[in-house]
Amino acid sequence: MRKLDIEFTVGLFLIAGIICLGYLSIKLGRMEVLGGEGYDVYGFFSNSGGLKKGSSVMIAGVEVGRIKDISLEDYQARVVMNITEGIKIQEDAIASIKTRGLIGEKFVEITPGAAEETVPPGGRIRETQPPIDIEQVISKYVFGKVE
Amino acid sequence: MAKRCPLFWSVVAGILVLVPLSAQAGTPTERVKETTDKIIAILTEADLKGQPEKKRSLIRKAADEIFDWEEMSRRSLGPHWRKLSEEERKTFVGLFSRLLDRTYMERVEDYSGEKVFYVGENVDGDYASVEMKVLTSKNVEIPVVNKLKKNGGKWMIYDVSIEGVSLVNNYRSQFNSILSKSSFSELLEKLREKVS
Repeated sequence: MRKLDIEFTVGLFLIAGIICLGYLSIKLGRMEVLGGEGYDVYGFFSNSGGLKKGSSVMIAGVEVGRIKDISLEDYQARVVMNITEGIKIQEDAIASIKTRGLIGEKFVEITPGAAEETVPPGGRIRETQPPIDIEQVISKYVFGKVE
Repeated sequence: MAKRCPLFWSVVAGILVLVPLSAQAGTPTERVKETTDKIIAILTEADLKGQPEKKRSLIRKAADEIFDWEEMSRRSLGPHWRKLSEEERKTFVGLFSRLLDRTYMERVEDYSGEKVFYVGENVDGDYASVEMKVLTSKNVEIPVVNKLKKNGGKWMIYDVSIEGVSLVNNYRSQFNSILSKSSFSELLEKLREKVS
């Protein structure tokens, strides 16, 4: 009887440990197992500049969503963003790809617009701005072209 | 014969009126090209050599034909626009267009033979983008994207991106930052100082 008790307790701890491990993996891996909340919107960028799935979407420095998917369509980057439920994005909002921090992590910043109409779920953010390669621009104007 | 088929002749007359109207509408690229060519012609016009003020007023007139100043002002103020009265909006549009005039007129006047190439056009309903490349004398290609929207059947520019940087986005960030610390009338004061 005692042996069964011990084995049972060990089994219980094992299961608890596996559940904790599973929870940690899901949270760290940023997976949405329990059905993603929020709604999706997309935008086309001439260059996604190293933006990744899971990168942040920010408004006024506050994270309002994550990048869900990036694909190539018509030689442009089609970026799908999952936005927190309740956050409205105006039709003339501008989505720009910016760099943050020392590591140079890319994220999308949305500047709110003036329109009354908002982008519906599955809708498109029309105004986008690709990342600006500062060095490239500076060298272009300082040094000019070769030919 | 006219007396016998008035319907026929009114249809013909209708078509004759509509054809030139639709030709006037123009594609987005045609509209941009028309204004750009007009402005370059004004800048290089030998007859206007010693008359800077006349040149500027002609350039402004040409720009007024294609730039939708109200739409640009609206987008640059962003969410703050909705809180304004009709009167405040009018004042802002006036000041903002004068600010843009002040900021960019000098650069336009510095024109020294740069060539403009039209790379492509993209139309999506009432919105369009016209991509151009400006080739400077130092052989540098500057990519410029004009964003247009149909206003009363005419394509009008509401944003210009140079090297990927949007004019509207630039002012939107700045106005947002200013309006988070100051009132709207203080912003108007700031603009008045800048344009005087």
